[in-house]
Amino acid sequence: MALPGLSLPGLGLQPASTPAQGNSFAPPIEQVTRTENLPARSEWRFETSFGSPYNLRLLGGHAELFGVELATNQPYDLSGVQGAIFTWQGCQLEITGEAESEYAAEETEYATEWLNLHGMLETLRSERPSDGPRMLVVGSDNTGKSSLIRSVAAWGVKAGRTPTVVNLDPRQGLLAPPSSLSAVTLGSQMEVETGFGIAPTSGPTSMPVKTPLIYHYPYASPTDRPDVYKALATRLALSTTSKLEEDVTAKQSGLMVDTPGSLGLTDGKGNISEILHHLISEFSINVIVSLGPERLTNSLSKRYSTAKGHEEAIPVLRIAKPGGVAERGEPHMKQLRSRQIKQYFFGSANESLNPHSHSIPFDNVVIYGAKPLASATETSSYGAAEEEEDDYDPYTDNPTTTASGSGTSNAFFEKVTPSVAMTASLIAIKFCPANSDESTIRDSAVMGFLYVADVDEGRKKVRFLAPHPQGWGNRALVWGGWPEAVVDLVT
Amino acid sequence: MAARSPRGSFSAASDIASDFEESLKDLQRNDRFAIENLTNIARESTEHAQAISRVLENHIRTTAPSRKLPALYVLDSIVKNVGTPYTVYLGRGLFTTFMESYGMINDPLTRRAMDNLLKTWKEPVPGSMDHRPVFSLDVVRPIENALIQWKTAILQKQRQVQPQAAYKSTPTPPQFNGQYAVPVVPAQQQAFYGHGSQQPVPQQHPLQSIYQAPTPIEQQYAPPTPVQHPHVDVPVLQADISSLVSRLHAQFAASPYDPDVQNKLKTVLQLQTMVNNGSVVGPSLQAVRSSVTAFAAGLPPQLQAPTPQWQPPVQLSQPYQPPQNTAPYMQPTPVQSQPLAFLAPGALNGLQALLANGQKPSTPQMRTAVPALQDVSHAQLNSVQNNVAAAPTSNTTDLLAALAKSGVLAGMSGTTPQSYVPVAASAPPPQANSTVSLLQSLQSILPPPGVPSGLSAPPKSAKPRIPFSAAALKVFRPELVRSLYDDQPNQCSTCGRRFLATQDGRAKKSRHLDWHFRTNQRMADPNTGRGQHRNWFVDEMEWIRLTAFDPSTTTADAATAATAAKKERGPQDSYVRAPAGVTRNTCSICQEEMRSSYAEELQDWVFGNAALWNGRIAHATCGAEIRKSTGQPAMVAAALALAGGEGQRPGSGTPDSMLGKRKAEAALAGSGARLKMG
Repeated sequence: MALPGLSLPGLGLQPASTPAQGNSFAPPIEQVTRTENLPARSEWRFETSFGSPYNLRLLGGHAELFGVELATNQPYDLSGVQGAIFTWQGCQLEITGEAESEYAAEETEYATEWLNLHGMLETLRSERPSDGPRMLVVGSDNTGKSSLIRSVAAWGVKAGRTPTVVNLDPRQGLLAPPSSLSAVTLGSQMEVETGFGIAPTSGPTSMPVKTPLIYHYPYASPTDRPDVYKALATRLALSTTSKLEEDVTAKQSGLMVDTPGSLGLTDGKGNISEILHHLISEFSINVIVSLGPERLTNSLSKRYSTAKGHEEAIPVLRIAKPGGVAERGEPHMKQLRSRQIKQYFFGSANESLNPHSHSIPFDNVVIYGAKPLASATETSSYGAAEEEEDDYDPYTDNPTTTASGSGTSNAFFEKVTPSVAMTASLIAIKFCPANSDESTIRDSAVMGFLYVADVDEGRKKVRFLAPHPQGWGNRALVWGGWPEAVVDLVT
Repeated sequence: MAARSPRGSFSAASDIASDFEESLKDLQRNDRFAIENLTNIARESTEHAQAISRVLENHIRTTAPSRKLPALYVLDSIVKNVGTPYTVYLGRGLFTTFMESYGMINDPLTRRAMDNLLKTWKEPVPGSMDHRPVFSLDVVRPIENALIQWKTAILQKQRQVQPQAAYKSTPTPPQFNGQYAVPVVPAQQQAFYGHGSQQPVPQQHPLQSIYQAPTPIEQQYAPPTPVQHPHVDVPVLQADISSLVSRLHAQFAASPYDPDVQNKLKTVLQLQTMVNNGSVVGPSLQAVRSSVTAFAAGLPPQLQAPTPQWQPPVQLSQPYQPPQNTAPYMQPTPVQSQPLAFLAPGALNGLQALLANGQKPSTPQMRTAVPALQDVSHAQLNSVQNNVAAAPTSNTTDLLAALAKSGVLAGMSGTTPQSYVPVAASAPPPQANSTVSLLQSLQSILPPPGVPSGLSAPPKSAKPRIPFSAAALKVFRPELVRSLYDDQPNQCSTCGRRFLATQDGRAKKSRHLDWHFRTNQRMADPNTGRGQHRNWFVDEMEWIRLTAFDPSTTTADAATAATAAKKERGPQDSYVRAPAGVTRNTCSICQEEMRSSYAEELQDWVFGNAALWNGRIAHATCGAEIRKSTGQPAMVAAALALAGGEGQRPGSGTPDSMLGKRKAEAALAGSGARLKMG
């Protein structure tokens, strides 16, 4: 059933024009190259758009992007990045390309705090080698949570550790497309351009690959399906803990858990999200870092930083939001997601990959549709398969409900026949067989993602774009409303 | 005086210069072709002569001793075949370049080659119409003079201290051990440099230039007890005495029956008690001091002498420092009985006194104070004054630094303060009343006040303990930055990864570079360029078993040898090299057919997912499952199976790996069937 190598437009192009690079139809406008001298402990903040190239080169001194050191005289393509090149010792940068905004900043106290956090983690690692730090970072959106984790992880790797990073934000993937919750143990250096690095491919890569473990949560926010989210968190925690038990150095290096911004919100009374409590206990968190408002920190300290009965006290540390963090608007996030999806299938400019096309009759494919919580009760009354496809229209936002625990109905999934509505969305291949029961499908790890390139309802065939030439056997496929469809993936 | 990075400051020329540098680095021996090639590059890019000269000087200065001579030959070839402007640029730093290399080279043959080289520079280029010598005489003569003086000094030294410690018995003069770390140059050599060599200044180093540690003098001769206020002389004296004591102890340990040593030790110990008690005051203190100095000067250098504050090489070493085995600090004798270089003892004191009273002395005043300044221009003296005025403390070192900075001493001397240390330090035991000079000579062997002590602490032990508290967050800790940068000076130029300067770090780096090379080669290969695809993600069991390791620093050999004792790789990752001619095999467990495939990394035909099972090749996963079912229950697997309750067999869903070729379908469907034995 697999038709490897079926011609896809756009695949034979040069790496420079792969979708990862954005549209290359515009001939490069005259590029202005300029050099910037940064004094010690300052940074170069920039926001670049996805389309236009933005290249940075370190001419002298030392500099790092979120903890990952830049090599001297190597060009780095940082288009579509909001970030800051930080220098501890002072450096000289050469910049080519247009940015939406860029400036040098010297208010970088945050970096000192972050580095000290690394120092604290190192202290914990050397003082308790058998039980490394398990850190949870919480805070609202755009407070620098992921950047903090990236930096601290990169420093840890540089110090010879192998920290494990867990991403629990389905809106942005870690070594995987969005809608995935992932964990990865970092055994080799992280990368400047891609952050954590590259997930395994069949060919040589310019940097050692990182192997993540992926679960699938096809909703934008944990509160969309708290029950599913918590179940997956439990599962992920179990796998991660098992891995740390198997590997002494990884255990000593510890865990860093990144959470979505919605968990950093408190309700009117200052109560913390119940999901957050769940995460803290499931991952046996022993260090909490709060990037959120003081209120959140206070609630967390009240709850955790004094020992209660059988529980040990968990230190709660508040770290200020860096001055450089910019609001990332929804359009930017959407482009980021679409880029992550493209990179999953097509690789990056350095390592271009060929996805493969698989055309499969409707009868041979079992797809489970993931239901949003609100409509779960609604659709069960209708029960008609034809109707439901409209409910899962990926172009509409999922209704978000904050009610937790109301999902008493077990219906996470239901079998759906492929429909045009699926076009351009992502489907997860689970490791479990197609006829597994619901909770197995829910908890099963992800083997890969498919992109629905085309659904031909007349000839009853669906064409998938798969990362791999091999078929995936009789495995369960799960389709959810998240992430939103990426129309221009195959152009 | 290449004070700035060739890359950073000359971006126009930097490409050519860095190309040149790369080729230079490849030059390992006296290779005529390579040298001619480099000469041609130099000839064709005379517009970048300055950058190229700088690169060449830097290279000669930093490269391993064994490669210095070839590099000098490049210099020679360029100046003889191309001539100007290289003669101008290279001539300026020739003294440094040449003398430094001479000092580091240990091999008499190479030295002789260098002598010959120098001789040819005094003569016109052979076969040339031009009758002028290669380098003008005022460039070559200082080198010759320095060489002569140095050789005499060496001879004297050998005569003086013949029966000394073991390292003395080597016929060759003390050397730099191939390390670029100038700060640890032993005093004897400094004496000869003091005549006017230009010390290589660490700050000139491109990578270092931004944030280099203190000037070398601060790192030298640090006594065991850090002294807070060197101008308070009692603690200085105490420190001095205790360093003396420890050296004597060492000597005593070496020859316990030597009555002379016993006596000395006894006396000094008494002296120490007296000074510590405070029973020595006023003028007698000065007497004690001078006798201590004299005593110390008379002591043979000791390896066990007070060295605890020496910096480990890690801190000073460069990213591309040549490997070296011997300890860089061999002779920490603080005081040298070497003859004075160019300034009479006490000569500086006059100048110092003049400058110390705050006002700017007139030029004639200064000229009379220091005869050596007689023929120095007014402007230079002015800058001396300014520099001195800028320095808060007026000790000899500062003064000398100021002199150096303003170029007063440039012709005959170096540009950095450390060149002058021996001058001050080597003053003969002065008269009892010249406290100032005594103080100065002592000061020069002590770190000046205000040196951040953290910088001279060994980096490893400086790992700070940071408590988990909000207060600890705010303090900037340079030692953390250092642990991420300076402590790992060995950097990969491709990806910026850093390595320790240890043997292990170097080995890792070379493996890492090999890895880059291999992957680049594979990526450039048109056959592998196409048809790459993303791999499937791994399943839980595989992920849990997978130990994160860095393939770029793990040897292929280790990976091969690891097949047996491997928990860190799943069984499906193991393989067996196919015996010659065998392309097919039947798994001795599941009886399925196995085909060999070509493994790119191993450059050999292998059976993927294979292991030896009872002497025959079988699927590694089959073997693993049998082993698992006959005991050794994987706790984790059980836990996961319980928790998930999924129908998936742990370890069976291994559809794809680099070497495994089993189809995902087969793995999924056949997970039960494979357990049927035979």
